[in-house]
Amino acid sequence: MSTDNFHIADQELLQAADGELSFLRAAKVRAHLAACWDCRARMAGIEEAVTDFARAYRDPLTPQLPPIAGSRAMLRARLSELIAKPSNPSWHNFFHFHLTLRVFACICATFLIVAVGAELFFQHFAKQGKSALISSDRGIIPDPRLTPGATRQVTINDVCSMPHEDVVREVPTVTRQQIFREYGIGNAGPEDYEIDYLITPGLGGTEDIHNLWPEPYKSRMWNARVKDTLEERLHQMVCIGKIDLATAQHDIATDWIAAYKKYFHTDRPVGLSSQLNRRQEKRSGPAKAT
Amino acid sequence: MPLKDSVIALPFPNAVEAAHSAKPSPIEREVMKLFEQFRDPLLRYAHSFGISVHDAEEVTQEVFLSLFRHLQLHRSRRNLRGWIFCVAHNIALKHRQANQRSRQTMTPDWTIAERQPDPAPNPEEQFSLIQRRRRLLAIVQALPEQEQRCLRLRAEGLRYREIAAVLGISLGSVSISLTGSLARLIRAAGR
Repeated sequence: MSTDNFHIADQELLQAADGELSFLRAAKVRAHLAACWDCRARMAGIEEAVTDFARAYRDPLTPQLPPIAGSRAMLRARLSELIAKPSNPSWHNFFHFHLTLRVFACICATFLIVAVGAELFFQHFAKQGKSALISSDRGIIPDPRLTPGATRQVTINDVCSMPHEDVVREVPTVTRQQIFREYGIGNAGPEDYEIDYLITPGLGGTEDIHNLWPEPYKSRMWNARVKDTLEERLHQMVCIGKIDLATAQHDIATDWIAAYKKYFHTDRPVGLSSQLNRRQEKRSGPAKAT
Repeated sequence: MPLKDSVIALPFPNAVEAAHSAKPSPIEREVMKLFEQFRDPLLRYAHSFGISVHDAEEVTQEVFLSLFRHLQLHRSRRNLRGWIFCVAHNIALKHRQANQRSRQTMTPDWTIAERQPDPAPNPEEQFSLIQRRRRLLAIVQALPEQEQRCLRLRAEGLRYREIAAVLGISLGSVSISLTGSLARLIRAAGR
């Protein structure tokens, strides 16, 4: 969505000042600032506050610090001492003994963690039943450290002035590559992942890299297509006033699968439920006949 | 550990001198280079925990000794700046906890602000600048500790990802924290 129609949030202005925006988004913010005096004035205020704090924090203390020469000499001496430390055979034996003990302890701890983890997982699976994720659904929830979600200041009118599908845009290739790198995904084919918005632009999400993640297409149950239907549902619900925009943004950013279950009142994707029901009917049909 | 004691403890009395005269290893050179670069920022950061400059200096020394061991063991070199600040953060916290009197001896930022004469052209301007700084640092000190840490680490040039790693919080939290803190500073300055 163009920033020409809306003001930029303080958070994004600060990210722009700090060089934390994606290349594309930064260019858009720059273009907006060139046209908008209001945002430029707020940006100047932020810059001034940053400068004031940096000066107040650094300038008075820096001259009070002891000269570096003494510290440098001390560190050199300590490093030399560390390097020159002779290797004592008894110390080696002691170290190796402890190392073996530590390795053994690590192995035991790993087994214990795996056992407890498996137990917890199965308990959770048993509790959740059909809603538990199947193995092919890994990666469908973004890493909250990399993709916490990011929004811009929008009103309901902004969001609802155009259909949901018109607001969603294609993510540029450079950004896609950057996201794959961040997530440590190499050699990803275009059919494997969709670079998806965590908070869709139709709900005020931005094109910021913190709002984008590689969502696998291959997940059988919870995949990119299912999330698209949730986005449309939330967009509709916001526009008819059933829920407020902040709630929609929060719910989809926190756990979109939980949001899907909440707003569709189901434990599994709607299409999948009907497919499974049909399969069950087919299976139960011949059994009844015999 | 005092240097004198360690020299006595060594089996070869001239070991330290010999090591001194030997050509420094690449790791040693790298550590010293990073020390030159980050010593002052680390001192300021450690001092901001309310420990004395002397203790902060000790924290810095420990950080670079740990860094040397870290590199010697061929551990990850990814984001060394974040690693350095993270270690400093943890050691400074330990120092603060260990020092029972740290809270009493803590030097508030605003007294530091007053200590340093500013090269302002006249006493009036100097007074006004000190007052402004004092007000600003008082606001910072009233912020929750995590927000203060975010601000100080950002002031030392760390990126959001590095700050998130040092403080063990999410990127979003760093961004929100910095925005909130600066909004308070702006409001206080009446801008």
